[in-house]
Amino acid sequence: MSSQIRAKWTKRYQIMWVACLILMFIPLIHPLGLPTPVSKQVKDYYNTIKNLPEGSIVAVSFGASATLLDEQEAQFLATWKILFETKQKVIFFSTTEDGPMVLNMNLNKVKPESYGYVYGEDYVRLGYAFLGEAGQAAFSENIRSVYTSDFYGTNLNNIPLMKDINSFEDIDLLIYEYTSCTDIEWAVRQWVVAHNTPTIATTLGCCGPMAAPYYPTQVQGFLSGSVAGTELEIISGNPGPGAAISDASNLGIIPFFIAILHTNVEYFMQRRKEK
Amino acid sequence: MADILAGLVGTFFIVSVLSMLWKDNIVFRFGQACIIGASMAHYCFMNTQMVFTQGVIPLSQGKLTLVFPLLLGLLLYSRLNKDIAWLARYPTNFLIGVGSGLMIAGTLRGQIIDQVKQTIVDLFAGFASESPLDALNGVIILVGVITSLSFFIFTKEHKGAFGYITKIGRVFLMISLGANFAGELVWYLTQMIGRLMYILNQLIWPLLGMA
Repeated sequence: MSSQIRAKWTKRYQIMWVACLILMFIPLIHPLGLPTPVSKQVKDYYNTIKNLPEGSIVAVSFGASATLLDEQEAQFLATWKILFETKQKVIFFSTTEDGPMVLNMNLNKVKPESYGYVYGEDYVRLGYAFLGEAGQAAFSENIRSVYTSDFYGTNLNNIPLMKDINSFEDIDLLIYEYTSCTDIEWAVRQWVVAHNTPTIATTLGCCGPMAAPYYPTQVQGFLSGSVAGTELEIISGNPGPGAAISDASNLGIIPFFIAILHTNVEYFMQRRKEK
Repeated sequence: MADILAGLVGTFFIVSVLSMLWKDNIVFRFGQACIIGASMAHYCFMNTQMVFTQGVIPLSQGKLTLVFPLLLGLLLYSRLNKDIAWLARYPTNFLIGVGSGLMIAGTLRGQIIDQVKQTIVDLFAGFASESPLDALNGVIILVGVITSLSFFIFTKEHKGAFGYITKIGRVFLMISLGANFAGELVWYLTQMIGRLMYILNQLIWPLLGMA
């Protein structure tokens, strides 16, 4: 590529990114409240939790990463709020090193106590264990084979909520959170196929297309990316960080659309000229 | 004051990493080294703690079966010495064996049989449905599945009628990859927006007294 062409493209990239940054900044300073339609998979995700009888046992396999939190925080906060509002018993277990830290931040924001929740009776945190596919299989068969104590070091047998819970048979719903796109297969293979456990999933925007084939028969609903987080905030009536992110990404993507369109038109015109 | 200081440190690292967009520089390299160093320390700590709480401590309390996983884990480190590196094959084989055993049954049912079944069920359900769009959707999925799979048949030359089928498959694959790429792009934008929000909420608004 000649230096002239390189300079031309570099300038275009710079213009595109500067336009993108400016457009993204506007809704962060002054929220626009652009309309966000709620997709079917998000409605199904919400309804799956909402339709659970009060006091159902929900296991949350939490594979969040701190570096990817911006993409998923809206999903998490809205999900925890729905779980606490509908009075479900929640067992959090983290499958990534960052999981406990992210969950701590989330629970500090949501404050389960404000929903009348008592630790150990209504929700429990089992901390971090490196649960690959084999770990998920082991957890579903016998929780105590993976965790003997909770995040704070209390023996599971001394935690009221955990007394009668030890396997998939005691779990009414699995919420499977993951950030490595193919990990959804672990939940499908080790929870859905093996035990027929009702499962919903939350993941990054780029992983959505890989979760879609399992919806709605194997995974009853799924959230993919910050947009799905915003949709869940809307449908559940729990405003959170998703609205601002959604507005900013809606505006920030405009320069990319224009760039793609412009480049393609230019390419075809050039080809025509050459012919 | 402490919050503003934390916001300032966070903003410094965000700006240091983004400065790479301008060119490689010492501030970027410093930020990068700090972030990787802190992440590695965190990961090492969490995993060491896990080995202790779920392995060493229960073993010391009499759960003797844990000797085997701990021993297998230790054998992985034999790779560090060329003379005994062969010992690492035992835990590796064990991991592969267990992994494959767990995977195969679930893959066959969950990812092949159930997926094929659902493709056919969706087609019939679409034709039975009142909405013609459901039928169209079922047909598109069926055509997409068959043609995309045909694209990966390399034992037969992609010529003639079969060539047309694989070409249609390629279009479906491109649409699928395009959807993935769009997801990636939105993800990057969201990360950027998140960092802008951090700078605004943790530094600029508190500094302006608007927090």
